[in-house]
Amino acid sequence: MNATGIPLKEPSVSAAAGATEQLERAYIDASTRVPVLMFYTSAIAWLVLGTLLAGFVSFKLHEPDLLSNISFLTWGRVRPAHMNVMVYGWASMAGMGTAIWLMARLCRTVLRYPLLLVAAAGFWNLGVLLGVGGILLGDSTGYQWLEFPGYAAIILFVAYTLIASWAVLMFRYRRGEQIYITQWYLLGAFLWFPWLYAAGQLMLFVVPVQGVLQSAVGWWYANNLLFLWFGAIALGTAYYMIPKVIGRPVYSYHLATIGFWTYALFSSWTGMQRLVDGPFPAWMITASIAAMILSMIPVATVGLNHHMTMRGYFPLMRYSPTLRFTVFGAMSYTVFSVVGLLISLRSVARYVNFSQTSIAYSHLGLYAFFTMVIFGAMYYIVPRLVGREWRYASLIKLHFWASAYGIGLMTLMLLAGGFLQGTDMENPSLPFSETVETVLPYLRGRSLAGILLTAAHFIFAYHFGLMLLGLGRTSTVPTFLNPVETETSGGH
Amino acid sequence: MKGLAPLFLGIFGTFAFSWVGLTVIPNWQIGHLNPQSDEEGTDIYPQPQSGMFERGAHVYTANGCMYCHSQQVRADYAGADIERGWGNRRSAPRDYIFERPLFLAKMRMGQDIANIGARAPAEQQSPPPGGAASPATSPGGATSPAASAAPKSAAPAAAPATQGAAASSPPATQQSASPSAAGSPAPKGSPSAAPSTGVASPSPGAMANSSPGATTTPSSGPQTAGPPWPEQTRGEPPMYSAAWHHVHLYSPRSINLDSNMPSYRFLYEKRRIRDQRSADALQLTGSDAPPEGWEVIPTYDAKCLVAYLMALNQSHPLNDVRSAGGAPAASAAPSPAAAAGSPPPSPAPAK
Repeated sequence: MNATGIPLKEPSVSAAAGATEQLERAYIDASTRVPVLMFYTSAIAWLVLGTLLAGFVSFKLHEPDLLSNISFLTWGRVRPAHMNVMVYGWASMAGMGTAIWLMARLCRTVLRYPLLLVAAAGFWNLGVLLGVGGILLGDSTGYQWLEFPGYAAIILFVAYTLIASWAVLMFRYRRGEQIYITQWYLLGAFLWFPWLYAAGQLMLFVVPVQGVLQSAVGWWYANNLLFLWFGAIALGTAYYMIPKVIGRPVYSYHLATIGFWTYALFSSWTGMQRLVDGPFPAWMITASIAAMILSMIPVATVGLNHHMTMRGYFPLMRYSPTLRFTVFGAMSYTVFSVVGLLISLRSVARYVNFSQTSIAYSHLGLYAFFTMVIFGAMYYIVPRLVGREWRYASLIKLHFWASAYGIGLMTLMLLAGGFLQGTDMENPSLPFSETVETVLPYLRGRSLAGILLTAAHFIFAYHFGLMLLGLGRTSTVPTFLNPVETETSGGH
Repeated sequence: MKGLAPLFLGIFGTFAFSWVGLTVIPNWQIGHLNPQSDEEGTDIYPQPQSGMFERGAHVYTANGCMYCHSQQVRADYAGADIERGWGNRRSAPRDYIFERPLFLAKMRMGQDIANIGARAPAEQQSPPPGGAASPATSPGGATSPAASAAPKSAAPAAAPATQGAAASSPPATQQSASPSAAGSPAPKGSPSAAPSTGVASPSPGAMANSSPGATTTPSSGPQTAGPPWPEQTRGEPPMYSAAWHHVHLYSPRSINLDSNMPSYRFLYEKRRIRDQRSADALQLTGSDAPPEGWEVIPTYDAKCLVAYLMALNQSHPLNDVRSAGGAPAASAAPSPAAAAGSPPPSPAPAK
């Protein structure tokens, strides 16, 4: 379809919305301003810090002598610091900020009890700060994604309790009978996370389980955090943003229902496939592999639903930053799931187990899928909070391409390098050092990808800073990536 | 979707299903394992560790060793771990019942170290015999760090040096009191794995240097106990000894040029030699060597870390796991003399 054939709407002016409804929305958006901006600003600050740490980690992996004499800069401390800054600092805060805004909009009510959220954001930041400091000082617990020492975990939990209770309160004030798809996912995420976090903490630290079960609980936690917390928020956001931007309802409500319930049921059973061939009863691993296979049902339904919603409207990605990022993220969800399935099959896992492949998988999930969707949401939400439009279309484009190429290159490097590394490892006639030699060039390529991502994040942080300072454009039309008037050819 | 009740119930129900299925039921199944023992109730394995081991595990966690080193050996049908000499049998849940925190780990940028302690030279597996130090064994290697840094509990220490070796090596190399055994550590797993692959594969030390002697069969005479293996630079402590670990942690690339392990110099202290050189000072060469009159000594944390590494040992047979090379569980009785005196046991089926 030709781009000019599509009415490019100012996204908040939906065709059905009357003047009253518009006013009401503006009013709701204004009420979310302080808490959401607080979450976003903290998230972006953590993102920049996490990116720097990531670059450092990536370079140190092939230049091991870089600053290795300082205890808190040793690779084994900076790496968990990077992971936790990204998981709890950036991803969780950005996700919660987005979820808060979506909740207010979808409950069609002004945000109440903003102080609860402000306090929660403060506590959360404190928790992450203490946790990362603890890791760098050598207080890590050693469990993947649960490295924060106890004192930080407690603070995070308190902060989280405030947010969850706020979400439940908001739900009671909602207007309208219908609960939109996005709300299912968000409600799920809000309720799953505390259970997950509490179960992880309790079973690992308070009443620890015996022996290898610690690993099982650890991976159950990490995997469910990825799917039921980050994944659920990202899918919910995509279900809101895509129809909103193109001004068209979701293709099939029925598919969405199937997608949601199969997602909740099957993806929560995955996790043990990461422990394939480990010292566990085989049924646990097989159950998770089966769940990975069954998880293709929600992937297919959600993907089909988004695709059919977008059909005919893909050219709009040329103009709308939100749509471009969100669709990239939604497509990455499929890639992420397919890669996850492939590397968990026993015949493949034999060759990719214990290699860099699992790093590629985590980045596909947390970055290509989750982070890109959240970037898209931020491009939509922030102008509505600060009352200004994004200043430079060029910066948004740079951000997108640097992020897209960066994560694409990183994934390819880690997947290919990991596969070769794992294959070498399975060949006992090669000395072990060969396997490391094999993967090193790919790790250098990964560092290059990291430079691209660093550039992307600095550009975004700068742009966001301009918006915060009120230096955005004053305009009634959102910032399009390409000028609508002069462009006639669609599809890119 | 209408109404909150089905939504809430569904959200809770699906998650409860996963929680029960993947954590509660496995806990019920394998969450309360006991150590195994033989009929008389002796030879208990595994045994809880304490003291330096615990602190060493903390140092291990704090510095993120598990992000590069796994501690799990896969079964022979699932991977090449056993052929690489990382263990003589697969790891089993029972191996880990006292491990807290647990470091199974998912990454092998470095080798698997589930059995790194079992690969130590024979003389460090039991109290060092008097006057047994060979030229290759430095004073630092064989004496104080080794003795103090190996707070192993009775079972692993009393077990024969290495099981693969115990099964098929001639008696001479088994006598830990023998000078030759002290000088040239018998690589664990080498004899038993050699027939299957033939190349340098079974060498646990394939990462270091070239290993010309890897495929040689065990020599027979006590005077020619095989070439020092792997090939060692003169003056370097024997591989996987406590002294070797210290040098490796301090300067990984002085031992293996290709290593990409970071150095952990912050766990060591450089100080002026007072009266005489400390017994546990590191033997460093080349550019790592401290200036004249100075020495590099491990901090207490470094000693604990090495003690922890030296105690990582899953070579003790488990009744429900088949060991490679057919070493049956019975031969694990802590009586090297008996095991050495009998002919090499033939590959026996799993017990």
